[in-house]
Amino acid sequence: MRRTLVCILVAGLVVSQAALVCAQTKGTPLVGSPPLLLPGKLIIAINATIPPVQYIDDKGNLRGMRVELGDEIARRLNLEANWVNIQFEAMIPGLQGSRWDMINTGLFYTEERAKIMSLVPYELQAISVSVPKGNPHKVKSTEDMAGKVVAVEVAGYEERNIKAINQEQVARGLRPMDIRTFNTFADCYQALKAGQVEAVVSVDATGKYYQDRGDFERAIFGLKGSPASLAFKSKELAEAVAKILNNMKQDGSYDKLFDKWGVAKIFGWEKWTGSFKIH
Amino acid sequence: MKGWDWSSFLEYLVSPYLLEGVWVTIWLTAASLLIGVVCGLIVALLRMSKSPVLQMPARLYTWVWRGTPLLVQLIILYTGLPQIGIKLSVVQCSLIGLGFNEGAYLSEIIRAGIMSVDRGQFNAARALGMNYRVMMQRIILPQAARIIVPDLGNRFNGLLKFSSLASVISLEELMRRAQMLTQVKFAVLEIFIVTSIYYLVLTTIWGVAQARIEEYFERGYSQKNSSRAKTLARTA
Repeated sequence: MRRTLVCILVAGLVVSQAALVCAQTKGTPLVGSPPLLLPGKLIIAINATIPPVQYIDDKGNLRGMRVELGDEIARRLNLEANWVNIQFEAMIPGLQGSRWDMINTGLFYTEERAKIMSLVPYELQAISVSVPKGNPHKVKSTEDMAGKVVAVEVAGYEERNIKAINQEQVARGLRPMDIRTFNTFADCYQALKAGQVEAVVSVDATGKYYQDRGDFERAIFGLKGSPASLAFKSKELAEAVAKILNNMKQDGSYDKLFDKWGVAKIFGWEKWTGSFKIH
Repeated sequence: MKGWDWSSFLEYLVSPYLLEGVWVTIWLTAASLLIGVVCGLIVALLRMSKSPVLQMPARLYTWVWRGTPLLVQLIILYTGLPQIGIKLSVVQCSLIGLGFNEGAYLSEIIRAGIMSVDRGQFNAARALGMNYRVMMQRIILPQAARIIVPDLGNRFNGLLKFSSLASVISLEELMRRAQMLTQVKFAVLEIFIVTSIYYLVLTTIWGVAQARIEEYFERGYSQKNSSRAKTLARTA
């Protein structure tokens, strides 16, 4: 009787160990902790206020091309994606302060940002100007924006560039724009809808989305283009994700994702070397 | 990016960009408080009237403006009202939102101050033939002021910091200026410590001013300086 019991116990132990080993090898994370903040999890910061690339649907779920991209990257790394929806201006300090592993919010690539983070460009992006339907103020170029009230998100690439454009125009003698800064692009578009501002400076994909939906017209696009990048504090993690992106390009899933959402692929960038890497 | 950078801190401490934001915070707070005091006084007096026709709007005003968050009020004023055709500027929305909100709280503070004045003062004033306006202006409100000022000073202190909510509707006061500055070097700790120092300086200056104002209204009550105490001291 006792011998049978011992045999059953040992068998049970062996089976459970085998099951554990099986479970681990099926989904062993390809990146460990460190450099990840939490083992098995990829903490991603995003600001879901700009459809179609990142937004919250009316049921409160995170949606958009970048959300799908982030989920896919995490899946291929055998990690669990933990999303943090937060204002843009908190993201870069948060990355430095080890609050998240990756910023996935369409961060424009710039030389100075590349100095303080590891950036992996993956999407072509440029600045657009949205105006009310029908373009009542006949905005066709940035010169037409002189003297108008313009909304933009605070502390981002778009704000810096529209201010630079404004300064350069004022130096040429044009009237200055009244540039109003808001916490998020959603607030900017609300102000446009309310007629409190006459134009919103945002990104191409969003401007096009609102134009297709019939809410606002995209008066100008393609300004100051620079690739949207994923940002990391850890070079090791950045390289691992770049490898995943290369895999996705090879098996066609990158193309499929971008075509589905109508977002511009990175291949048209003049500094594109043929594969995804830290720039 | 790592550690504290003294040179950035000192540079931001005297930054004209931030100082302009400080100026906006100062005038925004002062103007909102002025609106608040005027509204608060009117509403307090209406609230204390015997006629329900005068009382109802006062009660309604206090109920609405005290019962909803300031942030929601600002957003309704700036982004919501245009939907029904009322378009106000950023400054107008900020002053109305901050001023009327403050007025609701101040009306209760002023009402408490008036109620604290001894009933006998009202009776004596009436007995001397004073009408309502003279009674309030010469007798009641100066005495009520002693009770009102500490709490009003408290509210002003709070308003100096609540004014930062106007940044949500794009007003460039101190908080918004600080946010905009962080994108240059990402020296977040240095910039926000500087911002906190500015707020602290403003609230401290107000604290000193408030102490002086309280002293002024205290002069009829303080035993040290009262004429009775002086007489007693002389004959002792």
